[in-house]
Amino acid sequence: MRLEKCWFCSSTIYPGHGIEFVRNDANIFRFCRSKCHKNFKMKRNPRKVKWTKAYRRLLGKDMTQDSTFEFERKRNRPERYDRNIAENTLKAIKKIDKIRSDRASDHIKNRLKTGKIQRQKEARKQLEQDIHLVKAPLALAQDSSLYLPKIKVNVSQTRTEENQPMEG
Amino acid sequence: MVQYSFKKITVVPNGKDFIDIILSRTQRQTPTVVHKGYAISRLRQFYMRKVKYTQQNFHEKLTAIIDEFPRLDDIHPFYGDLLHVLYNKDHYKLALGQINTARNLISKIAKDYVKLLKYGDSLYRCKSLKVAALGRMCTVIKRIGPSLAYLEQIRQHMARLPSIDPNTRTILICGYPNVGKSSFMNKITRADVDVQPYAFTTKSLFVGHTDYKYLRYQVIDTPGILDRPFEDRNIIEMCSITALAHLRAAVLFFLDISGSCGYSIAQQAALFHSIKSLFMNKPLIIVCNKTDLQPLDRLSEEDMKLVMEMKAEAIKTVMGQGGEPSNEEGVLLTMSTLTQDGVIAVKNAACERLLNQRVELKMKSKKINDCLNRFHVAIPKPRDQKERPPCIPQAVLEAKAKQAAEQEKRKTEKDLEDENGGAGVYSSNLRKNYILANNEWKEDILPEILDGHNVYDFIDPDILLRLEELEREEGLRQAEEEDTEFEMDGNELSPEEQEALAAIRKKKSLLIQQHRIKKSTAESRPTVPRKFDKYREFTTERMGRQLSNMGLDPSMAINRVRSRSRGRKRERSFDRGDDGGEAMDMDVDRPNKMLRVRSRSLSMSRSRSRSRPPSEVVPGEGFKDSAQKVKAHKLAKKSVKKRNKDARRGEADRVIPTLKPKHLFSGKRSIGKTQRR
Repeated sequence: MRLEKCWFCSSTIYPGHGIEFVRNDANIFRFCRSKCHKNFKMKRNPRKVKWTKAYRRLLGKDMTQDSTFEFERKRNRPERYDRNIAENTLKAIKKIDKIRSDRASDHIKNRLKTGKIQRQKEARKQLEQDIHLVKAPLALAQDSSLYLPKIKVNVSQTRTEENQPMEG
Repeated sequence: MVQYSFKKITVVPNGKDFIDIILSRTQRQTPTVVHKGYAISRLRQFYMRKVKYTQQNFHEKLTAIIDEFPRLDDIHPFYGDLLHVLYNKDHYKLALGQINTARNLISKIAKDYVKLLKYGDSLYRCKSLKVAALGRMCTVIKRIGPSLAYLEQIRQHMARLPSIDPNTRTILICGYPNVGKSSFMNKITRADVDVQPYAFTTKSLFVGHTDYKYLRYQVIDTPGILDRPFEDRNIIEMCSITALAHLRAAVLFFLDISGSCGYSIAQQAALFHSIKSLFMNKPLIIVCNKTDLQPLDRLSEEDMKLVMEMKAEAIKTVMGQGGEPSNEEGVLLTMSTLTQDGVIAVKNAACERLLNQRVELKMKSKKINDCLNRFHVAIPKPRDQKERPPCIPQAVLEAKAKQAAEQEKRKTEKDLEDENGGAGVYSSNLRKNYILANNEWKEDILPEILDGHNVYDFIDPDILLRLEELEREEGLRQAEEEDTEFEMDGNELSPEEQEALAAIRKKKSLLIQQHRIKKSTAESRPTVPRKFDKYREFTTERMGRQLSNMGLDPSMAINRVRSRSRGRKRERSFDRGDDGGEAMDMDVDRPNKMLRVRSRSLSMSRSRSRSRPPSEVVPGEGFKDSAQKVKAHKLAKKSVKKRNKDARRGEADRVIPTLKPKHLFSGKRSIGKTQRR
């Protein structure tokens, strides 16, 4: 039993799912669900379809090269069973997984960093420039903190009675 | 040179057909058109060609006939004699001779006429020469017509002769008519010979094949022979005599000891003695047939004596060959074709005798020496008397013995399965023969899949080392990350700043929305000067509110405005008396949340609309004064009073301006049918 990768979207195919297509030139295409299968039949290139891993990796949106990927390598020769190795492997898988996912999220974070910095700069600028819309410059001069003034309400008895029909 | 089959001879056409064939061929294959005006050489050539062509064809065909018919001297004497017996050698030779002379005659005719044609001087003369030539040739053929017919008949008959190979192993069956030769033949071969109660059912030779010791034997069934002097025999009997005479075969002489064939044993014995000269050098077996009717033991004395005489003769032939006199059993045999009792024994005996004889002959001939030279068994010459048995090491012997013992004792998986309940109940433990570093691990279960990964892809003996390295790297990397993050953190906005920013953005978006509405309704919105402030947008309260939202104290601004607008009418201030411009405090607590929400919202162009009394003059409407407005109101009401009372259709009631608008009731549709409109 093996977990395979979907040819189109690169997600893992668990046993009992998906379709495997063998072409006349003996290439095997595995699909995780009919969405990928139908896209393949429409002859779409996964490298151009935005939601696939192939696209994301090609455009550098996801991490492509990392040493954690080298731990997972398909072997064609069976290895003789060794309990110690097996134990170590099982423990290692979890750790490697964690490291890999950390690195992947860091990659994405770094990619988005410049945008974030940009937006912060813009926000700061806007705050500086347009503060007059919410706090009068005079008030700002008096009280340089950005503590916004609270809104006043004229609460008199007669008024409340009049205003009630409108509220309804 | 045909060996033993005459089936390949071409058909001999009869005289007339022959002529027709040749002449039509001449006509088709040579040019046909010739004119008087041609050059004389051309005319001569034309006719010479025809004559020659005809002669050639005749020559070819006649030659073919002559060549294909076998020459009686050149074929095996058996066939030569057989053909003589059947067709008479002399007649046959004569016919062929006539064909030959005809051929020569035609050649001569052609030669003569070609010579004459060389000197033909006109078309007519050449033509008549040609006609004469062809005519004479055809007459020649007509004359040999009967020979051709005779040869055709012979050919047909020859094609049906049985294909007997005179050189291979043959068994010949002979005897009186009706003794059971053909039934025996049917029993041992696949031949289907006619078996009937009357004599001379078999009229010619029949061939069948049978097998013995992986060799094929021909079995030849002959027509019955009667005891007559040689000259009186008819053609049918002569066939069998010929076969007996020429074929080197084992002879089975059939004897009917029951006498149901119609001839007594004495007669049969007489026949035997008269043709025994033909049995020279042939293995002879006397077969007593029809033992179901009359067993051999119960024969009468005379008959027994005759039979013994025949047997003696048969033994003589055996002795003549130099065979074993002790083998008397193979000479006289009994059988019954009806009950199949002894049939196989007879066949085996005959085949055996024949085989031995042939082998002996071969050994005596010179040819065998060539074969013998090919066999040689090399035996090393012993150089001394010492015994040298084969040497097998002790270890090998022991191992062999052990292996043998193991084979018997070993418990197989199948036995195990049977013990534990059979195929459906027990499934063999495939793991028990695993070769692992530690035998305790044999029953370990390792998961194949973990967290979306294939475990087998990760298995590696030094995975721990690599993992350590990786973790170290990771540690370093994370440290770096933290540093950069730390630098980055300084640029974040504080919560207050974020609030302020949110407020800015909100205000800005509201302004933009307002502006957009204003812009889109600009065409239809009345542009009223500010002093006619229908929705009370420009009040001091409002201004005060907005200013205090921005953090300024509005009181001074309000006072200034109030001081300027002293000349307002009491009417207006009466209307707004209730709201009055009380000074608004900056820090009043808001008791009612609802009020707070409402007051916080910035007023739109349509602020709270208020109901006005009907006589109030609103600036944008266009009335001079209150009285005018009231009058207008009354007039409007009067105009509709009657209609309403009469319940008539009015302005607001539904009306279809055009009952049949053109665009619905005419025109073709761009696609679809216009079945309904």
